[in-house]
Amino acid sequence: MTSNPLPANSSRLGGCTLTGAISVTSHLRDTVTVVHGPKGCSHHNVSLLHASWLDNDHAVLPSLLSTGLSEKEVIFGGEDALRKAIGSAAGQEGVRAVVVLSTCVVGTIGDDVGAVCSEEYRVPVISIPSAGFLGGTFQDGMNKALIALAGTAGPCQKDRGVNIIGEMNLEFEVEENYREIERLLSLLHLPVNLRFVHNLSWDQIARLGRAELNILRSPALVPVGEYLKNRFGTPYIPSFPHGLSATLSFIREVAAHCGIDGQVALREECLRQEEMLGQFSDLRQVPVSLDRVHSGEDELLAAEELAAALDLVMGTPGTCARLPVSAAVGTAGTRRMLHRWRRAAHA
Amino acid sequence: MPECDNPLWPCAMTGAAACLAGFDGIAVVIHGSSGCYYYPTTLLHAPLHGTFILEDDVIFGSEDRLQEVIGSLSGTGKRIAVITTCVPALLGEDIRSMLDEHDVILVDSPGFAGDVETGYAKALAVLGPQVDPETSGVNIDGACLFDPFAAGNVQEARRLLDMVSVPVATVFSSDRYDCVHHAAPFTISTNGDFPSGIGDNLGGMLGLTGVRETFARIGDTIDGTDCDPVFSELEQQEERLVRACDKFLQRYDPPFAAIFAGSSYALFAAETLHHYLDAEICCIGTRNAPGNSRFRAEQVSSLSRARDLIATHEPDLVIGSSFERSLNGEKAFTGIIPPLRGRVRIYPAPLAGINGTLSFMESVLNSCMDKKP
Repeated sequence: MTSNPLPANSSRLGGCTLTGAISVTSHLRDTVTVVHGPKGCSHHNVSLLHASWLDNDHAVLPSLLSTGLSEKEVIFGGEDALRKAIGSAAGQEGVRAVVVLSTCVVGTIGDDVGAVCSEEYRVPVISIPSAGFLGGTFQDGMNKALIALAGTAGPCQKDRGVNIIGEMNLEFEVEENYREIERLLSLLHLPVNLRFVHNLSWDQIARLGRAELNILRSPALVPVGEYLKNRFGTPYIPSFPHGLSATLSFIREVAAHCGIDGQVALREECLRQEEMLGQFSDLRQVPVSLDRVHSGEDELLAAEELAAALDLVMGTPGTCARLPVSAAVGTAGTRRMLHRWRRAAHA
Repeated sequence: MPECDNPLWPCAMTGAAACLAGFDGIAVVIHGSSGCYYYPTTLLHAPLHGTFILEDDVIFGSEDRLQEVIGSLSGTGKRIAVITTCVPALLGEDIRSMLDEHDVILVDSPGFAGDVETGYAKALAVLGPQVDPETSGVNIDGACLFDPFAAGNVQEARRLLDMVSVPVATVFSSDRYDCVHHAAPFTISTNGDFPSGIGDNLGGMLGLTGVRETFARIGDTIDGTDCDPVFSELEQQEERLVRACDKFLQRYDPPFAAIFAGSSYALFAAETLHHYLDAEICCIGTRNAPGNSRFRAEQVSSLSRARDLIATHEPDLVIGSSFERSLNGEKAFTGIIPPLRGRVRIYPAPLAGINGTLSFMESVLNSCMDKKP
């Protein structure tokens, strides 16, 4: 891959806006996502969603409708094809809303997608500009989709509970990460109000404003967090926790936001972490290096902290075992990473 | 082109990448957005390069960016091939003249131009394969990186050719780049959906009958070739296959099968199931245009049509991709086309050749028996 690291090129590697938006909208159960572009763009994403959903034992197939632009529409315009596809999607039994996503082909030929979407249809039609690279990055696509869908929810009475915002639905361990956050919240007796957006029905979006706190999957979602804060007055925590101390800080922060005494939860989690480290004491004094090439800053900090807690010896890369570093969410994620470390250390 | 729900087949750009990336000695550059790059990269498991164009490149022209990427690849000793995706094709830039100073292979294969087979054929045509009368042996074609059975098919074809001491010439498209211009005068096919059109076609390698006929032609065509070792293995293995199928039929009814695949694999599956298990083929949905056969087939490019066919016919065996497996509920399933997701696949299993038929039928019999009451 040509990944010229010049600052001018960094945004080139940010992925496809369309895929980012689809990763969100495809998790709305009773809606159809219309992808306005050539069939290939939809196939790429159907295949990707299919793969990641099967990895998560989610056998349901996505519901994407491509407008199937060919050379003819590219030359003469694709608005009629879009109008027809929206009508067809809106007419399907049980469909509560239609989400329209645009591709870079449409961005280039200049179809007025917004105008077509604002016409009368049987169900609400939400247009999310996501013209591939013309719309930004994968993350931009996610953020735009989350904000557009959040915009359909009205204000509502606050209730006890927390929203999980912007889970990475294409992530291999998305369910395990969610379960860990749910477990940490349960230590504080806090229920999850909504997974926005993960396997959600259209009607459930109306509950978005009820939560007393939003937990974002990653700091890249801060614009979404800010939008929700302005719209519903809900504060947010900017990321799932990575590593040992971040997990404890997370508990502390959630407790503070929700006005809960978190001391018991913190003690319980500390104990759990100590027991876990004890189970990996065989790694003590093993010379290792960390895989810094494929790691983000937060993950590396968490891994360095973990290595210190286990009393690992940092050796020269190439002369000792190289430990994989992943975005280990919470204590459970850290435990899974430690099993991989043990495999690498004893390889 | 009408709307299409959950399209089942990749675009022409992916086909072009699948062809070019199969040749060692070519550096493939996908001239387009990151979205167009990531999909073929994950699907083909081959090193690809991308220009990852952005909005500015659309407004001010993509030449600088393309030159930058081409420049970074020059000096690697590889011939650079550029595939144009939808947006550069729409911009109408004269990419050929942009690249005048470089010896670049240019394949104009935007996604909206067609399906994967279209792009594959276009890229292969641009490579300009040639027969070299001095090259001995036979070429193997139909090895498209997009096909998860391609590597196994080539291994199996090589094994069988080795048994009869016929050298393998060029493998389309999984070989050194220079071999493209030194193909042998004869070719055998492992997947008819990805033909090379090079040399005299001596036949296909799908199905035991196909292998038998093809090796008979090889024996007739290439002087001094004794194909008896292959015929002998065919006889032994077919006997094993017949025994296994007879045993199945002693206890169970023949499968009632729905088949979804590229035309070539679909017809192979239909013929094989019908011949050895007396299976009834209730429907065939081909991803591309259906070929001629005694079975009724229609082109199926959307998930809803595949769903309709399965719901209408209620087969007890489905052959296809993991898309169809997901529609199939608890019925028996055997995967023969991509995507084959949700299962670990490490071994390069073939569909072509003797072992390809055995492997396919082994999977069918086991999946049918697993699902029987």
